[in-house]
Parts: sequence; structure tokens; C-alpha cells
Amino acid sequence: MVRQKIPVSALVVLIVIAVGAVVVVILGGSSKHSSAQAAATSLPSEAPALATYSERVPHAASQLNAYALQGTVRGAASTPQPTEPPVSASAFRAPVAAYKAYSGQQLKLMENDIARLSTELASGDRAAAKDAWRHAFADYMTLGAVYLEGPVADLDQAIDGNPGGLKGGTASPQFTGLHRIEFGLYTGASLASLEPYARRLAADVVELRRILPRVQVDPLDYATRAHEILEDAVRDLLSGTDVPWSAEGVLGTASGVAATTEVIKTLAPVLKSREGVLPVVNAQLGALRSSLASLQAQHGGRLPTNSQLTQSQSEQLSASIGQTLEALAQVPGALETTTTPPIPTIPRADERIVP
Amino acid sequence: MKPLDRRAFLARSTAVLGAAGAAAYIDVARAKGAGAPADAPPTTPGGAAEGSDLEAREPFTGVHQSGILNPAPAHATLVAMDSFAPDRKTLQTALKALSNRAAELTTGGPIPLLEVDAPPPDSGTLGPDNAPDALTITIGLGASLFDHRYGLTTKRPRELTQMPTFTVDQLDPSITHGDVLLQICAQHRDTVVHTVRELMRTVRGTFQQRWAIDGFGSANRGPTQKSSPRNLFAFRDGTANPLTTDGALMNKLVWAGAGEPAWAAGGTYQVVRIIRMHVEFWDRVGLREQENMIGRSRDTGAPLGGTTEYEDPRYDLDPKGDRIPLDAHIRLANPRTAKTADQRILRRGFNYSRGFDKAGQLDQGLVFVAFNQSPSRQFATIQNRLNSEPMIDYITPVGGGYFFVPPGARGSNDYVGSGLFE
Repeated sequence: MVRQKIPVSALVVLIVIAVGAVVVVILGGSSKHSSAQAAATSLPSEAPALATYSERVPHAASQLNAYALQGTVRGAASTPQPTEPPVSASAFRAPVAAYKAYSGQQLKLMENDIARLSTELASGDRAAAKDAWRHAFADYMTLGAVYLEGPVADLDQAIDGNPGGLKGGTASPQFTGLHRIEFGLYTGASLASLEPYARRLAADVVELRRILPRVQVDPLDYATRAHEILEDAVRDLLSGTDVPWSAEGVLGTASGVAATTEVIKTLAPVLKSREGVLPVVNAQLGALRSSLASLQAQHGGRLPTNSQLTQSQSEQLSASIGQTLEALAQVPGALETTTTPPIPTIPRADERIVP
Repeated sequence: MKPLDRRAFLARSTAVLGAAGAAAYIDVARAKGAGAPADAPPTTPGGAAEGSDLEAREPFTGVHQSGILNPAPAHATLVAMDSFAPDRKTLQTALKALSNRAAELTTGGPIPLLEVDAPPPDSGTLGPDNAPDALTITIGLGASLFDHRYGLTTKRPRELTQMPTFTVDQLDPSITHGDVLLQICAQHRDTVVHTVRELMRTVRGTFQQRWAIDGFGSANRGPTQKSSPRNLFAFRDGTANPLTTDGALMNKLVWAGAGEPAWAAGGTYQVVRIIRMHVEFWDRVGLREQENMIGRSRDTGAPLGGTTEYEDPRYDLDPKGDRIPLDAHIRLANPRTAKTADQRILRRGFNYSRGFDKAGQLDQGLVFVAFNQSPSRQFATIQNRLNSEPMIDYITPVGGGYFFVPPGARGSNDYVGSGLFE
């Protein structure tokens, strides 16, 4: 049973929280802080996740943490200013460069998988072609933090676009790439009819790898991607929206977790100065990777499709991702590159300068 | 409405209904309190307890249909149906029946009694006497009704097309389009649920349900009576709506007229968009970023830099977007220029919440409803501007459709859609 596979560390966390909550109830308002700490420190030292739920973690990093240990989220009468100075934009140069290097390597893997896909399409082996497609798709999903906007947005549409917003839907000539091939592979289209799409995909991926070094990644966007990759995975992949034919949402999500792990790894030097964020994020990402590994083991070494998940597996995966996302949502705020300026007020009539 | 003494009411019922009323007399008396404790509160006709708002009534007949200009009440259900009428005559009959039943339900009154071995003509879920509860039933027609089936191609309103797929859309065909749309609104949920059931029964076999969605309005939580309610992103929605009391403005923005087939005058185009809102994702975004995406303060609803909800955002004093970003929702939706003034639409939407999706995420959002004179000039123009707003990451339009809401039934002998058959 999946329910029994909750990692020991997670159980310890739950116990800590439960104990903390009980103590809070008993001791009441003013002593919540110290009582919770006492409860936490009295627990066995071998609990590895304990540090992630200590009071050193900013209370906003987890509502579960805040409500269990402090009893509430402590706010202020007016919006408080961030306590830490903004991060310099130049601090993102090395992380972004490292992620681009990683992405380049992933694209090379994808090129190999597309070559295999082409071979399998030509040989007429649908099962083998599907397997190659899965690998190519999983490779591309690890590029989550590369924003293809503006002039290169078309390239992203060509590689990974969905028919949803296209006139004519699946019949649209703009519908190419991974999902066009998915559509054909899983709806019984002749494999030969998909060969041109595989060739086009191969060319588009080569083109992406060529321009990748010049793709601009804004520091704030990069910090935001730390949680948006998995937000998108939940919204588009686990829901089935973007993989309507193959239902390979878990596979795509696993790639998203890999991409997020890579983003956090590159950002670690910058995040280190932000108290508490990095250990929580790493602990959650680790737990999520364990959940996925466990799922894979339960399905004979292959990540299940969305529809193969049992209700219990689906709930556990959602819980794990949800908890990770709550932690990841702290990253963009922790990495602000500017102090948020006050909003200018609308000038009164007598203050207006006629332009 | 002033509560009536029960005895006086019963006497009046008998007088009005005559012999048939005698049976009703007995039934109503039984339901309303024969055998009830002496201190039971007095009731008013319509089965409404004293002091309740169940007696509020919105007329079904009129130049325009109801459910458009009146403020949206707390509850709604939209039901899209497809017609399986084998011929034009059957379609006409179904539309006539629909209006007659709708008129009856919106007026309220006792349920007619049939022999005890016959199924009752009304489910009776609201009691033996239906209270109107400000019920409105708005009937719309989809472009597909004007195909070859019923010889209505020449009657098609000029701008009635199937709703186009906008670039942000992920439309699910099973909750998109339809031949006929019913918009059912009332102050209480049970009234809406009853109405859906009764109307489905009336047209059963001819109009078959294609999709439906339940909506609710947020309570007015102030600070004033005029404060706009919040949507599920917690922002006030509807602030910039044109004034529905301004008849001249409604003629410019809402009611169809020039260029339309004669029968369509006084109608309007209804745009329905089922917009999923990814609320967990939204809740993980910083407040300032949320406010910059919308262009308003979340708490007050004031345009950024202002203090009150209905304040002019003064884009003219903020040409570079230093105060309100140029891609903020309110700025793209309504740039407030002379050129865009005739693009404004009348929004009358509802929140929805229907459990969870397959990925365990809350399935919540907005049943966007807008009335406009010309979807191409108004709604679609606005929607195309919104294709580039940052908020698109947090929403997914998944269904809905374009419908033409014909003019209202002119009286008890008329019905909505009669102009199609003249």
C-alpha cells in the first residue's frame, strides 16, 4: 500500500507538528513560540527533516509550519518591507549560464532520442516509437527554465505547442512537434505519416540548441521559474491538458522536478544567504523525487501514465508536489533583485503637470 | 410585500380559483400550517416566510429579456442544450413551452393539482406554492440552431457565429457551444435547482442538456452597497461596468439593432466563458505581483495609486506604466480612450467551484458572462488584447460559447424566439 510508503522523515515531521499543536493549545497564546520550540527540540535527534521545520524557517515558508508551531501567521499592521537587502542581478549570471549548459546537454540527448524515433517510425514499430517519443518528450520537459519568448516563442510552439489555441486545432499546419507526433502515435495514424514531423522536430531542436546561448533570461524570471516549472506541470501535465493522447503527465512532471532541482542547484550559492529557504526546498524536492522513484518502482520500473495512478498514488503525488510548491513559492521573493518601490499615487488635480 | 393574513389569502384563493381552487385550498391549507404549532410564523403567498426576500419578482416579459440589466443575484446555473426537434414546428413548440413555463416559474404561485395517481406537474421541491425569488430565465440561441435543420439560415443574427478559439483557450468541446442556452438566476440555490429540473422536464425529448455549470456571487462585504463583489482571485470584478440605468448607453453597448434582422431588435449577444482559475498557483504569488497583473489594489479595488474603487485610473498621467503596468488586466481590458469607448461590455459573471480536477487541484473559476451589441467590435476585440496579459498563466478558458439572446416575450401570448417563425 502506498499509504505505508510515507517516508519515515515525513512521519516524524507530522508527529512534530501534532505535538507542537497540542502544546500550543495547552499553553495558550503568549508562550506559543517557546513551547513549540521546546516540543521540537525534545524530539529524537535522528529525525532528518526536523531542521526544515524549525523556527529558523521563515514562517511564511509553510502555512503548515506556521500554524502548527506558531499557531498563526504573524503579520503586521501595514505591509512590512523585506528584511534582507535585494540580490544583485549579476549574482544570477553564473546560475543562468550553468542552467543553459545543462539545457544544451539535455537537447543533445533529445536529438539522439528523436533520431531513434525517426528510425522506429521508419521501421514501423509503434511500441518502440512510443518509447522513443517518451524519452524525447521527457528530455524537453527538463528545459523548463528556458523561457522562449518574443522572437523565439515560435520555436517553442513548433517543438512543444498544443493545438488548443490554434485555428483548426489538430488540423492546423502550425501544429507540429512533440504533441503532433504524440497525437499520431496514440490515435493510430500511420507511422510513415509522422516521419516528416520527426524530421521537422529534429531540425527545430538543433536550431534551439544553436540559439540557446543567446536566449536572454531575466534574473527575476529565472528565480520565478524555480516554482513555475512545477506549477505548470500540475496545471498542464498532471491534469492531462497538454498530454491528452499519451497521458504521460507523470513522466513530464518528473522531468519538471529534475529541471527544478537543477535550477535550485544553480541558485544554491545565491540562496545560501537567504535564511531557511534552501534547506526546506531541498528537503521537499528530495521527498518529491523519492515519491516519484517509489511510483516508478510500483509500476515495474516505468513511470505510470496519469490514468494508471491509483487514487491513493494520485493523492500522494499531489500532496508531495503541493508541499514542494509551497516551499518553492518562497524562492522568487527571497531572490528579489530590487527593493519593491512604493506605488506612485494618482496625482491630485492641483498637482498635475500638463505633459 | 406585505404579509397577508392566512385566512384572507385562503379566501382569496378560493374566490380566484373557483372549483379547481377548492382542491388547492385544502392542499395549501395543509401544507401551510393546518396542524402547525400555534406560534408558527405567518406566511405570505408564494410559500415565503414573513420577512424573507422570496417574494421579489423579476418580470419575464418585456421589450428585453430579464437577467441582463438587473444586478446578478447570488445564484445561477447555465444550461446549454442541443435541439433534437425533428422539424421547425416542433422547435417552435418547444420554444413556446419553454417561455410559458419560464413565465409561470418567474411569477410564482401554487402548483396545479392533478389526480393523485398522476405524477404532479411540478416536482414540488419548493413546496406547493412556488415563490418567485427574483428568478430570471434568460433564453439564448447558438449559431448552430441557425443551420439547415429548421430553415432559419436567413434569420441568423448578423454577428452570431460559433465562439472562436482565442489563443489562450483550451476549449473542451463537451462544455462548449450549444443550440440553446438557459441562464437561470435567483437569490437562493434551491430556486435555481428547482428551475433547472422543471425546465428540463418541459422540453424533455426536444432539447437535451449538453453542458451545465453552477455559479455563485460573492456576498457584498462592503465597504459600501455599491462595492463590487470579489472573484476567486480576491479582486473586485465588474468595477468598470457601464451603468445599466443609462438607457442611451445600453442602446449603444448592449442592445442589438442596426444591421440586424428585424426580429432581432432588442436582443443582445451573450458571451459565456468558463474560465478555470488556477487558485493554488495564484495563492503562491506575491501580493504586489498579483496587484500589478490586475492593475488594482486587492483590498480596496482602487486602481493602483488610488484610494477608492470607482476612481479613474488616469492612464493619461501614466503613459509608461510606472503606476499601472501597460499589460495590467484593467488597462488592456478597458484602456478608457475615446476610441475604445464603444468596445465596453456589460459583465454579469459568477464564480464557480466544482470540486477538484484529476491532478487534485481545486476546480474553481469564473463563469464569465458578458452582454454586448457586437461581439466582434466589443468582446473579441478586448479578448484579443488580453492574449498577452501576464494573468494568462493563472487562468485557462475551457468552455462557453456565443449566444444570441432574442428580445423579450411581449406578453403572455408571445414567447422568446417567436420572431424566428414570423
